[in-house]
Amino acid sequence: MSLPTEGFFELRFESIGGLGAHGAGQILATAAVLHMGLNGAQFSSYGSEKKGSLVRTFVRLGPAGRPVRTSAPVEAPNAIVVFHAALLRNPATFGGLRNDGLLIYNSPPGPVPEALAALPRTALAIRVDALGIAVAEKSRPNAVLLGTLCAVVPFLDSAHVRGALAEEFAGKHPEAVASNDRAFRRGATEFEVHEGVGLAEGDLPIVRPEPVWGYETQPVGGIIAEPGNTAWNDLSLSRTGWMPVLHHDKCIHCGTCDLVCPDLCLVWRDGGPDSTFERELMGVDYRYCKGCMRCVESCPTSALVREAETPGLADQLRVPQFPGFIS
Amino acid sequence: MATEILTPPLTGTRAAGTAQQKVDFKSGNEAAALAARDIGFHVMGYFPITPSTEVAENLSKMQADGEHEIVMIAGDGEHGAAGICYGAALGGGRVLNATSANGLLFSLEQLPVQAGTRVPMVLNVAARAVSGPLDIRGDHSDIYFALNTGWIMLCARDPQAVYDLNFAAVRIGEHPDVRLPVIVCYDGFVTSHQKRRIEVFDDADAVRGFLGTRPEYPTPLDLEHPKTFGPYMNDPDLINNKVQLSRAMDAARTLIPAVFAELEALTGRAYPVLDAYRMRDADAAVVLLNSAAETAKETADERRALGERVGVLSPNVLRPFPTEAFRQALASVDAVTIGDRADSYGADGGNLSLEVRAALQVDRHNDTLVVSRIYGLGGKDFDAADARTFFAEAVAAGRSRTVDTPFAYHGATPGRPDRAPRPGLPPIPLDATRGMAHVQRDKSTGKLRVELEPIWKMTSVPSRIAPGHGACPGCGYFPTFHQISRVLEGDIVVLYQTGCAMVVTTGYPSTAHRVNYVHNLFQNGAATLSGLVEMYHERVRRKELPEGKDVTFVMISGDGGMDIGMGPALGAAHRNHRMMILEYDNQGYMNTGAQLSYSTPFGHRTSTSEVGTAAAGKRYHHKDTAQIFAACHLPYVFTASEGYPEDLMRKVAKAQWYAKHEGLVYGKILSFCPLNWKTTDDAAEPVLQAAIDTCFFPLYEVEHGHTALTYDPEAAGRRQAVTEWLKLMGKTRHLLKSDHAEAVTGIQAEVDRRWRRLKAMHEHPEL
Repeated sequence: MSLPTEGFFELRFESIGGLGAHGAGQILATAAVLHMGLNGAQFSSYGSEKKGSLVRTFVRLGPAGRPVRTSAPVEAPNAIVVFHAALLRNPATFGGLRNDGLLIYNSPPGPVPEALAALPRTALAIRVDALGIAVAEKSRPNAVLLGTLCAVVPFLDSAHVRGALAEEFAGKHPEAVASNDRAFRRGATEFEVHEGVGLAEGDLPIVRPEPVWGYETQPVGGIIAEPGNTAWNDLSLSRTGWMPVLHHDKCIHCGTCDLVCPDLCLVWRDGGPDSTFERELMGVDYRYCKGCMRCVESCPTSALVREAETPGLADQLRVPQFPGFIS
Repeated sequence: MATEILTPPLTGTRAAGTAQQKVDFKSGNEAAALAARDIGFHVMGYFPITPSTEVAENLSKMQADGEHEIVMIAGDGEHGAAGICYGAALGGGRVLNATSANGLLFSLEQLPVQAGTRVPMVLNVAARAVSGPLDIRGDHSDIYFALNTGWIMLCARDPQAVYDLNFAAVRIGEHPDVRLPVIVCYDGFVTSHQKRRIEVFDDADAVRGFLGTRPEYPTPLDLEHPKTFGPYMNDPDLINNKVQLSRAMDAARTLIPAVFAELEALTGRAYPVLDAYRMRDADAAVVLLNSAAETAKETADERRALGERVGVLSPNVLRPFPTEAFRQALASVDAVTIGDRADSYGADGGNLSLEVRAALQVDRHNDTLVVSRIYGLGGKDFDAADARTFFAEAVAAGRSRTVDTPFAYHGATPGRPDRAPRPGLPPIPLDATRGMAHVQRDKSTGKLRVELEPIWKMTSVPSRIAPGHGACPGCGYFPTFHQISRVLEGDIVVLYQTGCAMVVTTGYPSTAHRVNYVHNLFQNGAATLSGLVEMYHERVRRKELPEGKDVTFVMISGDGGMDIGMGPALGAAHRNHRMMILEYDNQGYMNTGAQLSYSTPFGHRTSTSEVGTAAAGKRYHHKDTAQIFAACHLPYVFTASEGYPEDLMRKVAKAQWYAKHEGLVYGKILSFCPLNWKTTDDAAEPVLQAAIDTCFFPLYEVEHGHTALTYDPEAAGRRQAVTEWLKLMGKTRHLLKSDHAEAVTGIQAEVDRRWRRLKAMHEHPEL
């Protein structure tokens, strides 16, 4: 991996708000521009950012003498860093990856995700347990992922990126500097290279989502005549490793949790003929649960408990809020 | 005045300036803030609006760290901010503001006032699409509204230009022949939020030398020489004032190149009034404003390599318009595509296109064909493929000597008949909404009494908001509304003012609302809902709508909306419409990134009341909005918290009764925001409990003018010192350090004072 002779080395970070992708992009690009003698640009996909929503961060790097003119998002990246393994399921995550490109993703050890088959045959795929390392080192996944990225891309000088990382935290959180540096260094060594997982030939096509409605079909005036259709959204990605689990035997169906749940994901039904309760809490619709644990905190009988989200657990325990309508 | 550049300049090969500079890596907003620091403005009046907010945020951070001494004043809205700036600028010092989109439009009527009375200042505009529907991303529909205000307008295509042109703006606006306020506009997000390598002054002497001191103009602060500023001026006179303004623009036309040249000598960076890229022998060109022009330059290189003689024009100055430079640059160009990032609806071209066409029309010898295109609205990206289309259209027109489609939108999507958003949820059965709160009027006192059904029973009420919304984990608004919704009976029509709850529930083409929902911008929601309420009753009276429906009108606002929208909300309150105004108070402008609101308590850290060695959070106490509404003599006013659900639900049930039978009710509801209070997502209960038990946020109601505490922490033996609350949040933890002891004493004293007053009102039969 080296700086291209024309254009820029382009990176795209695929993430969820709150995982630190924007900060990582800033640290990387700041180090490159101020300390590695490169020119560059850095920005993030802009929306009304809320913690837990999709975030994309873009970095362009080139030789000092090459002016940065385009300000468009990176559509055909040389490198993609995926901050949350669940994003691998979204085909747009890999969109436009160049055939000789690099994909780094955050995941604990395990079988190679099937989704990686969509990568170019000649692309390099790398797994690192950024969350695991970050938790162990009291850091954040972005420090780990930066470490891996710098280890794999030779022209990204680790010393300068570590310096920028330290500088970022030295003011407000001096206690985090050493732990971030440990996380970075572990990221630089504790990664796994997947050879030959991609099956696609050549550069991957650029993905540009088309709006559902256009000017011939959009109801006049921007009206939405589908009340409550956010119910089709799947917000599981917002959870960061933990989920509330209902232990039915302890539940007294008091309804306290329901008053504090922001995500309207607690499912109630009328009690059956044999039940002592008129209304019963059936469980959680994890499609909507963002894992805030307010229900757990409020539960007077500890029937709702914070548990680690192991793969498949949410699907196994999920109680649909709108059965027969949204499966 | 067009400067010719035949080959792309490589950074580093241009002539060095005489001033000492250093390299940095900054976004447009950061560059504007750095320029402000280096200029050393006296006063900044502002109101946060995406995407310009970071200018004030960065300055707040620098101020807390002791890096500048600009007096920063958060307005009650952009209109107020513009007034603050006008007054401050009249006072004779240097003044700064930053805004975007409807913020610019809200302040628009102040802009001609300031230009017409000839009071210089600098306004940075991070250009953004004007609502509605609300779109936070960049286009030029806001800045085009400023074209007729009499302000100088400079265009900054990248963060470096944002930095540089702020210095030029001060000099140009303050010049005695000009004496006008100046806008520096740059593209929202694309430039405001994209970090680039820039050079900034590292040379205070050079900056001082360039800026000089602000010339002394008449000021109401000159007490020795009284003058009248802003007379009443009618028909024989106003036109003459405008001749002077027009002449000032003419003077600016001459002055601006000289100021730019002086700046270039310092920095090495040139700003021709019309940037011309590879134009000398061009047959075809595109004209674009700001960042899109830079993208098109790359494409011009690509087309040149293929043998097409094309170039790019983009003005660095929009007012005064570089008319002559455009005439010269296009004199021998066959055809040009002019792209506008905003339409002048019905004029068959955006303002840039119309003005270039007008410029060419004056030249009898010019026969350049013009292709007018609208592109990139609402932040739609402009990339190389778009630029290729624009060049191709100009080249084709030049070759054929005809323009097939003189005016069109570029890049819009027709849509497909077989595509539609996901279907909505089934309607909510009205009967299922009833019976959770039983309201009775006590005949002896005239007051309402409420009995609630058990909490578990309320789980049978379908939620009026669907899940799947995009709020942060732990967000307090949704529990708040869920509790409200449990006791509201019958049909409800909601109006949400701009804020988190609006943004996260209505991302097109999805909506979380299962009932009729209206958004209006938060400066005007209450007025809008009052109009809807009155139309409802009038149409029922005229028998156009059925009688006997059980409908309640509810406005939802954040505490921010009760700053900028206070005037219309009080207007609606005084008119006593049958509606509810419910405010979820999370103590800041959380939707735009946690800037201070007037409801932010003293000392709390926000992104515009930062904490550092030189400053420690907000400098004045929180607004007592409930008492303001109580002074409107409404039938019912209350405070509540999502942390006391049964208290909240009783009050909401009363509120609905009063809104149906007597008139406007107002409720202020303390609502949790873990992201910006800097707590864990599940900390709502202890934090809200502490806010209440410390008497910072007393729970009470004012029913027909009689105040009653609904929970008295003293009587319950739970009263705590404010530190017990402040220690629970990251945004207040700094206050517990010994160097802020005085601030904490002040907070405690103010909390005590307000509590004692409230308790006295509670005890007094007439209050």
